[in-house]
Amino acid sequence: MIPSDPKQVTQICFDRIRIPDQRRLEVARANGAYSFLPTVLNEFNSEQIIEEVKKSGLRGRGGAGFPTGLKWSFVPRNTGKPTYLLCNADEGEPGTFKDRDIMRYDPHLLIEGMIMAGYALGVRDAYIYIRGEFVAEARVLNEAIAEAYAANLLGENILGSGYSMHLTVHRGAGAYICGEETALIESLEGKPGRPRFKPPFPAVEGFYRCPTVVNNVETLSTIPAILKHGGDWHAAIGAPNSAGCKIFSVSGHVNRPGNYEVPMGTPLKTLIEDYCGGLKRGTVPKAIIPGGSSAPWLTSEHYELPLTFDDLVKAGSMLGSGAIIVMDETADVIKIARRLSHFYAHESCGQCTPCREGTGWLERLMIRLEAGKARASDIEVLRDAAEHMAGRTICALADGAAAPVLSMLKHFPEEVRARVVEKAA
Amino acid sequence: MTTLFIDDKEITVEPGTSILEACRRHGIEVPYFCYHPELSVAANCRMCLVEVEGWNKPAASCCTPVSEGMKVRTRTEALKKDREMIMEYLLIHHPLDCPVCDQGGDCKLQDYAVEYGPSKGRYSEPKRAVINYDLGPFVNTCMTRCIHCTRCVRFANEIAGTGDIGVLNRGDHMTIAGIVEEALESELSGNLPDICPVGALLDKPSHDLARPWELSHHSSTCIQCPNGCDIQIESRGEQVMRIRPVEGSPEPFICDRGRYVYDSFRSPARILEPQIRQGDGFGSATWEEAFARTVELLKDKRVGILFSPYWSLEGLMSIRLMRDAVFPDAKVAFDLHRRDMRPFAFEEGFSMTTEQIESADQVVVLGCDLRQRLPLLMLRLRKRSRQGRPVTRIGAMNYRTNMSLSNDALIRPRDWHAVIARAMEQVQQLGKTAAGMDEWMASVDGRHEAGKLLADALMADTCALIVGEEIRSHEDAASLIYGLDLLMRACGHAEEGRDGRNLVPEAMNAQMLSAVFGDVRASAGELFALAQAGELDALVLVGSDPVGDGLFPSAAKAALERVPLVQVGAIEGEISRYAEVKLPAAAYVEIEGTFLNMEGRVRTANKPVKSLGEERPLWKVMMRLAMEMGSEPPVVSLEELREALYAAMPEVRDACNSVECDACLIRVGRNRDARALPRKTAEAFPLDVVSRYSMYREGMWARASELLSEAGRIHALDDVLVHPDTLAELGLKPGPLVVESFLGRHTFDIGVRDDVSPGVIYIAKRGVAGDLSDVTSARLVGCGGDS
Ligand SMILES: Cc1cc2nc3c(=O)[nH]c(=O)nc-3n(C[C@H](O)[C@H](O)[C@H](O)COP(=O)(O)O)c2cc1C
Ligand code: SF4
Ligand code: SF4
Ligand code: FES
Repeated sequence: MIPSDPKQVTQICFDRIRIPDQRRLEVARANGAYSFLPTVLNEFNSEQIIEEVKKSGLRGRGGAGFPTGLKWSFVPRNTGKPTYLLCNADEGEPGTFKDRDIMRYDPHLLIEGMIMAGYALGVRDAYIYIRGEFVAEARVLNEAIAEAYAANLLGENILGSGYSMHLTVHRGAGAYICGEETALIESLEGKPGRPRFKPPFPAVEGFYRCPTVVNNVETLSTIPAILKHGGDWHAAIGAPNSAGCKIFSVSGHVNRPGNYEVPMGTPLKTLIEDYCGGLKRGTVPKAIIPGGSSAPWLTSEHYELPLTFDDLVKAGSMLGSGAIIVMDETADVIKIARRLSHFYAHESCGQCTPCREGTGWLERLMIRLEAGKARASDIEVLRDAAEHMAGRTICALADGAAAPVLSMLKHFPEEVRARVVEKAA
Repeated sequence: MTTLFIDDKEITVEPGTSILEACRRHGIEVPYFCYHPELSVAANCRMCLVEVEGWNKPAASCCTPVSEGMKVRTRTEALKKDREMIMEYLLIHHPLDCPVCDQGGDCKLQDYAVEYGPSKGRYSEPKRAVINYDLGPFVNTCMTRCIHCTRCVRFANEIAGTGDIGVLNRGDHMTIAGIVEEALESELSGNLPDICPVGALLDKPSHDLARPWELSHHSSTCIQCPNGCDIQIESRGEQVMRIRPVEGSPEPFICDRGRYVYDSFRSPARILEPQIRQGDGFGSATWEEAFARTVELLKDKRVGILFSPYWSLEGLMSIRLMRDAVFPDAKVAFDLHRRDMRPFAFEEGFSMTTEQIESADQVVVLGCDLRQRLPLLMLRLRKRSRQGRPVTRIGAMNYRTNMSLSNDALIRPRDWHAVIARAMEQVQQLGKTAAGMDEWMASVDGRHEAGKLLADALMADTCALIVGEEIRSHEDAASLIYGLDLLMRACGHAEEGRDGRNLVPEAMNAQMLSAVFGDVRASAGELFALAQAGELDALVLVGSDPVGDGLFPSAAKAALERVPLVQVGAIEGEISRYAEVKLPAAAYVEIEGTFLNMEGRVRTANKPVKSLGEERPLWKVMMRLAMEMGSEPPVVSLEELREALYAAMPEVRDACNSVECDACLIRVGRNRDARALPRKTAEAFPLDVVSRYSMYREGMWARASELLSEAGRIHALDDVLVHPDTLAELGLKPGPLVVESFLGRHTFDIGVRDDVSPGVIYIAKRGVAGDLSDVTSARLVGCGGDS
């Protein structure tokens, strides 16, 4: 049970995740799932819910950190068009594996969050767009949804409240870009996943050009607790402007990699040493990617940084999806940057000039650099090519593609120079 | 309105305008590739970046709407570097083959590389190679040059409506490809090379033949359909290399017929010198000799005059002047698709502009293959349907439109009366009527449900009725058009400013033809019948090819077996084999002249291409003919001729003198007293015959064009088609069958297609069954033993 005293809260989405068979409706219900749903459906109205979510300070857990209540309030009412709710379960950002655990261990948490969100937004049809590789997770979700339908938690006239919502799982086909919300919408419409330019934003013109809210799995899974305990309760958890808890997917050179949900503001060092059993080698990490592979790298000087949206931005990076990749002194940063360049070159949808041409160019340069075949002049080319991709494209993939290369150049100039010199000598 | 500041200049534009559009309209140059004013915004090239004060990153100006007080900068050091980098990215894989690329000299990429690009690219990795694909006879592909702007994809989807071009793969493997390895299913394919900002898609017929800077430019009017698009003709010396649309004119695109007809200008079919028949062939002659023979054939004879509506207004006026001076009793015919010559309640021509049709609440197309007849209007209908506005169609065939229609009904031509009567019944029930409607309805027995679609559409505030050739060429056309006129008046669509009555004309200049020739016009069929009956001694043909085109080929042949033909024209047709004399007149691209399109817009051609031979402007030939025939020539100069034209049509003078010539519309004729009631005659045969117009095959110019003939072969349908039910009811199977009509029995291969109305035999006019064009009804029977 999540404590009603915010000071005692240590986790929200993972609160019941270790309960055996929690994925089954019976068990989930016995542990409180859906217990507050009738109250929400019968006693809350849309404005109230959105107000609570605004008050809660909840910010999107998918990567951009956009305030969820604010996003919901942008949805126009009475347009004569349906409003859609799409759950982004594409979880493609390298290093991220948190949504997967929610879906496979506590799917009813997500479903409950979606019903509440759907009710607040006046949604009749909601979808979960799940990463194609998550075959087992999709099955678990579908089983849970079937149970929920059978218990009248989904479908027509939910629990006699008069509210009806249908929920469908749609499996992606393996493209990272389909995690970007407008590419996700295109893909769900049956088209190739290519992001749309904004404005118009999905809240106004999204799925089939109708008002649409796209939220991450973790974001939606936080809603039941917020509505049950109140927005103020949630706002009191974590840090200023970074309310609540956050699941961090920690990987790399730590002794106990895995998902850890902690209140926001927990220092990076605490997370790694107290939760992840410390680094494999040495005392401070050589480099840390704090928010998924698209986030700029940090180094040992940031080891004590509190994990909040603002602190990470101040340090020149971002919280992103909360995937923390730790590299100790044995890491070959050039190899890592090259490998990530390959990922982005492979995943660019190809529509924007800088991203389409730049990602391939970066990868080819990085291959040469890694192999010690780059000239000194190539370093400037690499920097130029990466710098002019970021912030100049339709979606943020290009920013993500530039980040590893720019981080490598920024933090490890000597290693880069050494690699160039190595061969030239 | 929204006011913003671009480079400190205060600018006011409509709310919602993009920054790029605002810049374009105010002469501020921002480079761009993927944006195109006629296409949806893609925002993928990122060349159009600008800075907006207070924003932390540059904005793509094509997809960023203006906002009040916004401060935009288009020229900063950072943007200079950005553009340099975009150019560098784009040139990574672009081949450096400008010297052998047709686009060179007229290429956005090349121009911007000079203006915005770095002096040297730094990419030194392997380059990508891309496979070319086949887009048919008009578009050449060289896909390594593609910059992935997707203009072509959007054009194919949005304008052509085919979806034949798409994007394959991702990242820098992304390629633009024809979805199917065959010719584009579009009559607008020639626009693709214009749309492509680089040399990836190039004009195939002119490929590798000329460089842009070698070409001289001429402006003219396309007369290949009544839309009369402005065209720019590009020639090198005497050779016409290509035809393109004119920027800033009402239509930003042109169709393949108008574009590729140009090879006929230099084809062997041109009449470039006077000729006189010698046995089975023709021999060159001097003008004197040719006129001497002409006078011999025509002097003191009963003459019928047939001419093409495609001449300029001046040319047409000179025909009238010549007739009045020399053959004051002669009947004239210029329309090869009209059987009923009674006056129409609304004459040929449009009451609405195509823009107005695009935005009308309802559009109803009656019996018209718009895509073939008026491809540019079809494009506008496609545009309106993309915006969710309805289009209803009723007719004998589900003509391919490359769009989805909101309502659609198949009927036989003999059902038109019942369709209109059904619509009348419905509007009357809603209290809308017009004097004469009761009487009209009373003379029709049946009611056809398709009339409901018509009546429903008429209820809208604005309704554009587009009446096509299935009605215009009907034997009882005058009564059908009167019936439609009653409906339109009853529903308030005939009032000044809201007039929705549009009758697709035969060709250009319809308003002038009904105004100037209304009193002497006859049906072409009537002239042929008179000739055949011995009531005419000779035919004078000025342009036109009634043997190759139209609805009277059999009648024409029969007539010409009896009477001699004098042909004046720029190009030969199938009729030329009957000519005794041929007198060359200059082609439409070789003259200065005035034209009227179906909307009544005055188009002027003022920079002609050079004539090749001895041909003279038509008016000079006509005046010389008058002289040779012993009359005083009615006019002796182009100025005098124009005065005569203006006297007959003062509105044309006003339009020509107006600075806003495009905005002056010559009005369509109305015949208030054209009260024709439905005829009660039974058809001679059980099945109706409808002949199909093909833009690639209709007209002497198109047939003389090898390019269009090739396209005609690619896009051809079977020659004779019926609905499967029609055959099933008769117990027949597709294959060789006998078509029995008043012309006798003919055997054709009959195909089936369920988009032909049951009860209709649908024939391709220019195919093997072309001669059946004379026929309006027929019977199908099995061949010999197996029936
Ligand atoms: C290239 C790219 C990939 C993304 N992938 C994901 C993803 O896999 N899952 C996700 O939730 N958000 C992803 N996002 C973020 C989404 O676009 C969007 O911001 C998010 O789903 C919104 O939900 P939230 O407000 O709940 O965070 C991605 C963004 C980009 C630019
Ligand atoms: S930035 Fe890259 S992935 Fe995103 S839309 Fe542009 S090309 Fe596609
Ligand atoms: S072929 Fe031409 S129009 Fe099409 S995407 Fe490539 S560059 Fe653009
Ligand atoms: S013109 Fe704006 S991105 Fe291409």
